[in-house]
Amino acid sequence: MAVENALREIPGTNAQIFVYFSEIMGRLVCAADGEGLGRLADFKIKMGELFPRVASLAVKPRHGKQILEMDWSNVDSCNTQSIRLNPGAEKLFRPLETGPEEILLREELLDKQVVDTLGARIERVNDIHLIIVHQDLRLVHVDFGARGILRRLGWLRSADKLTNWLFAYQTEERLISWKYIQPLPSHPDKRNLKLNVSARKLHEIHPSDLADIIEELDALNRSTIFRALDTQTAALTLEELDDTKIQTSLITQSPVEQASDILDEMAPDEATDLLADLPGEKRRKLIQTMEKPSREAVEALLKYREGTAGSIMTKDFFSVPGTATVGQAIEEFRKTTCPLESVAYIYIHDAAGKIAGVCTLRHLIIAEREVLLSTLMNTRLITVEAEEKIAEVTGLFRKYKFLALPVVDAGGTLQGLITLKDIMQEELEE
Amino acid sequence: MMKRLLAQPRLRGLLLFLSVAGPGIITSNVDNDAGGIATYSMAGAHFGTTLLWTLIPIMVALIIVQEMSSRMGVVTGKGLSDLIRERFGVKITVYLMFALVLTNFGNVIAEFAGVASSLEIFHVSKYVSVPLAAVVVWLLVVKGTYRSVEKVFLSACIFYVTYIVAGFLAKPDWAAVGGDIISPSFKMSSESLGMIIGLVGTTIAPWMQFYLQAAIVEKNVSVKEYRMSRLDVIIGSVVVTVVAGFIVLTCAATLFKAGIRVETAADAAQALRPLAGRYCAALFAFGLLNASLFAASILPLSTAFVVCEAMGWENGVDKKFSEAPQFYGLYTMLILLGAGIVLLPRIPLFPVMYISQVLNGMVLPLLLVFMIRLINNKKLMGGHVNGPIYNSISWATVVVLGGLSIVYIGSLLKI
Repeated sequence: MAVENALREIPGTNAQIFVYFSEIMGRLVCAADGEGLGRLADFKIKMGELFPRVASLAVKPRHGKQILEMDWSNVDSCNTQSIRLNPGAEKLFRPLETGPEEILLREELLDKQVVDTLGARIERVNDIHLIIVHQDLRLVHVDFGARGILRRLGWLRSADKLTNWLFAYQTEERLISWKYIQPLPSHPDKRNLKLNVSARKLHEIHPSDLADIIEELDALNRSTIFRALDTQTAALTLEELDDTKIQTSLITQSPVEQASDILDEMAPDEATDLLADLPGEKRRKLIQTMEKPSREAVEALLKYREGTAGSIMTKDFFSVPGTATVGQAIEEFRKTTCPLESVAYIYIHDAAGKIAGVCTLRHLIIAEREVLLSTLMNTRLITVEAEEKIAEVTGLFRKYKFLALPVVDAGGTLQGLITLKDIMQEELEE
Repeated sequence: MMKRLLAQPRLRGLLLFLSVAGPGIITSNVDNDAGGIATYSMAGAHFGTTLLWTLIPIMVALIIVQEMSSRMGVVTGKGLSDLIRERFGVKITVYLMFALVLTNFGNVIAEFAGVASSLEIFHVSKYVSVPLAAVVVWLLVVKGTYRSVEKVFLSACIFYVTYIVAGFLAKPDWAAVGGDIISPSFKMSSESLGMIIGLVGTTIAPWMQFYLQAAIVEKNVSVKEYRMSRLDVIIGSVVVTVVAGFIVLTCAATLFKAGIRVETAADAAQALRPLAGRYCAALFAFGLLNASLFAASILPLSTAFVVCEAMGWENGVDKKFSEAPQFYGLYTMLILLGAGIVLLPRIPLFPVMYISQVLNGMVLPLLLVFMIRLINNKKLMGGHVNGPIYNSISWATVVVLGGLSIVYIGSLLKI
């Protein structure tokens, strides 16, 4: 296959082999003898490879309306003027079809929104950059830049002349490698499109950025992206979402099994907040399917009224008896499997289960292993009752600058923990 | 307590409505902006009640068009410019955005002209009022205090009730008014053609469709709640038309009768004399100022938002300037230039407001073509595409309005 003067834009590179999609879109597709058969309407790629190959061309024939498909292997040569087929290939046209793992560049990628996993945000595709290697046309970059827009408008040359003349400056390319791009399916039947290689890249985005991205998307793409996340990332992302309406719709749209796994993974107080916003029937169903420890925590938390300390506390805390030694406490700490929200303080209870004092992690690290915790602990404790108003708790945090505050019942038994993070979230929401 | 209340179905329905309502009603109140008040006043003052009948087909078209915008917002979860870009590609989008920015720019000028002319009643020079208003509006939005001020603007819209009261107090000849509405008449002249296009353009402004759809998307209204959203839009549209009708009627019963031509805010204010006596000027100035500032805070912002969404540029007032330079640039430029043009010496303020609405009316059919094509796209809308009645009314609007615009331009060029 011969490739002629495909591209003139990137100086210093092997300039013959790159081509922009906008430069060949709509070009003439002709038979081996030069007879025009139609215009190039689209390229179909098969997902899966790092830089996916163009599998076939979609051609709008000269006569007739139906778009036809032609395998790329029947292409003899391709340049920015025309595409020439192999001899006899014109008999091989067939009606265009797309499989579940195939996408059409113009129909489903160009002008659409995609997730740029490197920049952790949503971008719009202005143009698509292709490369020709070993007779294959492969997708390498997408163009997010102003140059892409100008090129498609046909203003690029004049714009360059103008900016050169005015400022001796040329606008920069903004090409992002395809491996960082997560395309978003544009209609419902494609929602099960196996997310391509870069789907793994989604997990490298920080959950708060993921939450921002999800909030910016429309409902269909929201759930597609959300489903592509593993349970842990999904849980963290859900916690970061500000809009409760989006939170609840994502969790109700997920299958019950998956939804309850995600709830298990979330911090119990966050999971409780979310569950409290769901309709009764759905909530009961989800809680029943949750695993025992988190189910119990959530059920306990749901009892507390909204706006009280109990409703925002976490049940994940670490507490040991005062008769334990530092060494035993450390062993106990190691055995704790649930992800603790706050490890700053270790609480110590007496034989009756009443909270007696507090140590810091620093104590455990620097003290001898044999020392009894009851001799180390600070007994001047500030606690709040579960029925206390959040505003009061906030006041305590302001005054004492703690990282966490223990929540107790009327008998003085530790019920949970409110962390500075919980309070900050409450404050920010107001 | 709340839970028990919610158990009652009627109350639950009302609460659901309130949670979804807003975009339609806010949009309609913004719709009665400086350009709107000017156009309706002039229609009444210069044509009496002879053009009153046009408001009925305009209302039907308004409901249909706004319903389409909100339906697209609910079903696709995307903004209108977003959909246009994805469906029609970058080329068409860029040219359409140019047209939209130009028209909206006309409207921004109209809002600042409204500020200038309303405060002229209090003898405040426009060289003071307009720059001040520009700074206030810019800060309101950029500093994020707009949301809290929105309620103030919205409640001040109660001002429009004064037209309804004044309309009754002016004791119009109700039989003649009824006759004018029932048997539409139309005298072919370049002036009345322009006025009809202006009436359509100010009531169904192109920018409002973008604004409404964006507001619906932002509210995350689900398809299930859509019936409530539709109710919101219908209520809003009817309110707009009733207010517009009474402005026309009041001006017809007072100004038209007295043979006053509306050239300034003081002329238009005379319509409220039956109600407010010698305070009519102050009352009118207050209403016009509120309407102008309300729209001036939304319009440039909405324009910048729509353009950035279409081009894929970062947008939103929660972003820093360095993150969204195009957004802030466009927003600031619209305000700066809009206010600047009003400061030109001897610029006729009321005609400027009116002309911007005629421009709206001429761009509307173009936008409608895109909207109709989008909403009939099965891939996009699934089972929520237009039915035959919707399609025929919306296409009829395009054809009639397009035809009127062509004839109007022809009559201006004296072909």
